[in-house]
Amino acid sequence: MKTLILGLGNPILRDDGVGIKVAREIGRRVDSPWVEVIEACTGGLDLLELIRGYARVVIVDSIQIRGRRPGEIFLLHLNDLKTTIRLSSPHDVNLATAMELGRKLGLPLPQEIKIYAIQGEDVFTFDEECSPAVEKAISQIAEEIMQEEGWSKKLERPIAQA
Amino acid sequence: MASGKAVDAVYHVEIPKAARKLRELFYCAHYIHSHLAHFYALAGPDFVVGPDADPAKRNILGVIEKVGLEIGGAVIKNRAYAQKIQEMIGGKATHPVCNLPGGVSKPLTEEERKKIEEMGKSFIEISKFSLKLFDDLILGNKTYKELITGNTYRHETYYMGTVDEHNNLNLYDGYVRVVNQRGEEFAKFKAQDYLSHIGEHVEPWSYLKFPYLKKVGWKGLTDGPESGIYRVNSLARLNTTDGLPTPLAQEAYKKMYEVLGEKPSHATLAFHWARIVELMYASERLMELIGDPEITNKEVRTIPTATPTEGVGCVEAPRGTLFHHYLTDEEGMVTKVNLIVATGHNNGPICMSVKKAAQSLIKKFQVKEGLLNMVEMAFRAYDPCFACATHTLPGQMPLEVRIYDSEKNLWQRLKR
Repeated sequence: MKTLILGLGNPILRDDGVGIKVAREIGRRVDSPWVEVIEACTGGLDLLELIRGYARVVIVDSIQIRGRRPGEIFLLHLNDLKTTIRLSSPHDVNLATAMELGRKLGLPLPQEIKIYAIQGEDVFTFDEECSPAVEKAISQIAEEIMQEEGWSKKLERPIAQA
Repeated sequence: MASGKAVDAVYHVEIPKAARKLRELFYCAHYIHSHLAHFYALAGPDFVVGPDADPAKRNILGVIEKVGLEIGGAVIKNRAYAQKIQEMIGGKATHPVCNLPGGVSKPLTEEERKKIEEMGKSFIEISKFSLKLFDDLILGNKTYKELITGNTYRHETYYMGTVDEHNNLNLYDGYVRVVNQRGEEFAKFKAQDYLSHIGEHVEPWSYLKFPYLKKVGWKGLTDGPESGIYRVNSLARLNTTDGLPTPLAQEAYKKMYEVLGEKPSHATLAFHWARIVELMYASERLMELIGDPEITNKEVRTIPTATPTEGVGCVEAPRGTLFHHYLTDEEGMVTKVNLIVATGHNNGPICMSVKKAAQSLIKKFQVKEGLLNMVEMAFRAYDPCFACATHTLPGQMPLEVRIYDSEKNLWQRLKR
């Protein structure tokens, strides 16, 4: 069973796209048939289709927490996200609700979902580049996540056994 | 899609027939994806679970509990199919990259065509089921039926939508048609003439403009023939058409107006019903397009040769008529942009609907149970996207109701 690295965000919205860039960077460095990278600018119910069938999912996305340093990484779990703005969007449900739905429907959902959230400085300006502080940190963030996940060397076997 | 059409107009180029059909095919899938989510995840909790139900149950999980796990699976599957089709044609499902000045970036292969055809059969089935569900659970319930047809959620306005040359519904292209409160044609125009028909009123208390019919004029947030307020979105589209050009959708359309007892219908909550009639139309139209031999034609782009200047593109977005208007320099760099997005058109009506719902639910210091949700139902019917409409990005819905006494003293505050 494979691990999915899911980079989320809007790639034309400055730091909102940092998750996509970090996932892309990890995908470039990790060379294993057991790890796949998907970039997506979606949320809610659409995520169910993206993550079904994988044993583990590592989501990388941007976040804004008052007073924190741009480029800082936070490790979150599903329960931490129950009150995101997606919950109150008139268009969709949040990830935690989508997961609960998927489980009720018996979809083959991952046993584990980890979320690396990267502090963005500006997620409201149209720009394909991240802000300088965040852009500069992308390589280091990718390395830190890879070390945390035990992927800093080339993988020869499934993550679950690594 | 509106931006793609605006860019064609800027470059003064006609796109090949196959490109037009591919764009429309993409768009049908987009509608199916959007309308399924709205009906089951957003409107469903109000009607299938109930407007007064425990908030813990009034969500998509509560809907699935009521309609069955199998249906939940079908909704997720069909949304995934619709997303897949958009990705096949558009390169990306959410932010497609297929539209180029003069057409689309790649033709459809026969293998892709067959896959889409197979998935399309499933759309017809979920559309049939959704219409039946509306019949059984909503029309079969006297309280819900009264809620839809009653006065709390009713406004007599003008309506705007896009029709073909026979005044049948078209989601991708045609004429913008406006009908009055009695259903008579008030205006019919090509997208490029929109400025002659639509004005944009500004209020200091809102980031969002208030479009109105110029020939009627801005008379404030009020309905009736003297007010230039008009509505867009699903019910408005059906109100402005003489019919739907596919058989099962036409049948559902006829039935809807028979039950509502009027055309145009002014029942705001009937936007939900119109949405599933459109779900059927988009499914049937998708099957028509995928069966068209021209859909795999390799000629999908006309290379533009004219100097770019100015252009307007217009489509029926799921939430209503969408205008993009660009002016460019000789190199095609944009110098001026005007967008009127669906929720913008509906801004005035949404304000009016919220006010009317609140007024009917608060009487003599008695705040009816479920007020927050009943008010929310008023604007949820429009499936609004405030983030797009205000050009701000968070898209939050921090609903708060403040109740004042006759001397404007804050008496009660309700919030989520």
